[in-house]
Amino acid sequence: MLRLGFMPRWVPRNGFFAFTDTIGVHKRFYALASEQLSRKTVKPLESRKTFLIDTYKYLMEKSSVVLFVHYNNLSKTEDHHFRFRIKQTGGKLTKVRNNLFEVYLRNSHLPDPCGPAKRKEQNRKHPLLPLLKGPTATITFDDTNPQQVAKLLKLLQSAQDKLLVIGAKVENQVLDVEKLNDFKTLPTKTELQSQMVGVLQMLSGLGLVRTLESGSNVLYLTLQSHHDNQKPKEDVDTSADSKPEEPK
Amino acid sequence: MITKYFSKVVVKFNPFGKEAKVARLVLAAIPPAQRNMGTQIQSEIISDYNKVKPIVKVTYKDKKELEIDPSSMNFQELANHFDRHSKQLDLKHMLEMH
Repeated sequence: MLRLGFMPRWVPRNGFFAFTDTIGVHKRFYALASEQLSRKTVKPLESRKTFLIDTYKYLMEKSSVVLFVHYNNLSKTEDHHFRFRIKQTGGKLTKVRNNLFEVYLRNSHLPDPCGPAKRKEQNRKHPLLPLLKGPTATITFDDTNPQQVAKLLKLLQSAQDKLLVIGAKVENQVLDVEKLNDFKTLPTKTELQSQMVGVLQMLSGLGLVRTLESGSNVLYLTLQSHHDNQKPKEDVDTSADSKPEEPK
Repeated sequence: MITKYFSKVVVKFNPFGKEAKVARLVLAAIPPAQRNMGTQIQSEIISDYNKVKPIVKVTYKDKKELEIDPSSMNFQELANHFDRHSKQLDLKHMLEMH
């Protein structure tokens, strides 16, 4: 419990994010005590390793854009400089421990990545696993905004070999550097959605809607005719049993 | 790895490939202070193997160039390969000093 003070505020404990956030501070310890009984982890619950895996889970699930960079031993001033500049673009730089991040990736589909998992249950072919060789850091963005990413990539170009972008995760998709360069030229998600709505309303929207509907309409009509065909047969059966037919 | 006698290092790799580990360890083995002392470091990310091949290329201070493909070896083997010439330069340097 003493360690709580040293942990960053933005990382809730134990992976139960929404739950611990909504209850009051005085009740939080209560909740923790009850979770300790239910939660089974490989490493002790209060250990740094469990904490870090929970942190990585939070990073990957909360942020929609995660860039992976090769963190090429920066001096302290350079580190401060880049952290500050990255923060200005809206991202956050986090150095990761490769082995623990690998554990998270392998178990990310399980309900609790810290819990014991058999080798067969683990996902050993996660597409992000090859990126965790050598010193690695992540830059996370909360929203999918390609302009922010473009700004960041421009900043990192000036860093040359110090921070090399090696890959990215954008909303469950893994991108390599080439695809990332395509991604940064896209407009923002809200713009795209509004464009889509505009197309549906303005141009041949009605025709498109009709086309999309037709499949389900045909299915309904076929089933309905089948139902009508069956009905006379049922009437015969029900009249024999002398029971009134229930409306379905 | 003795990096003291390197004047230029070029590293090209695909981060999803099997050469990524060795290539990134080479980059990480060069101390940050050495950039300010005149060693040029260039790195390039490959996404298509047909256009560019993965490579680690070192130019020494006596202008000798050595290059090697990092996908076929581990880091220690690569370090030995580059150290062979570094040690010769080291010896020469020692003799000049005395």
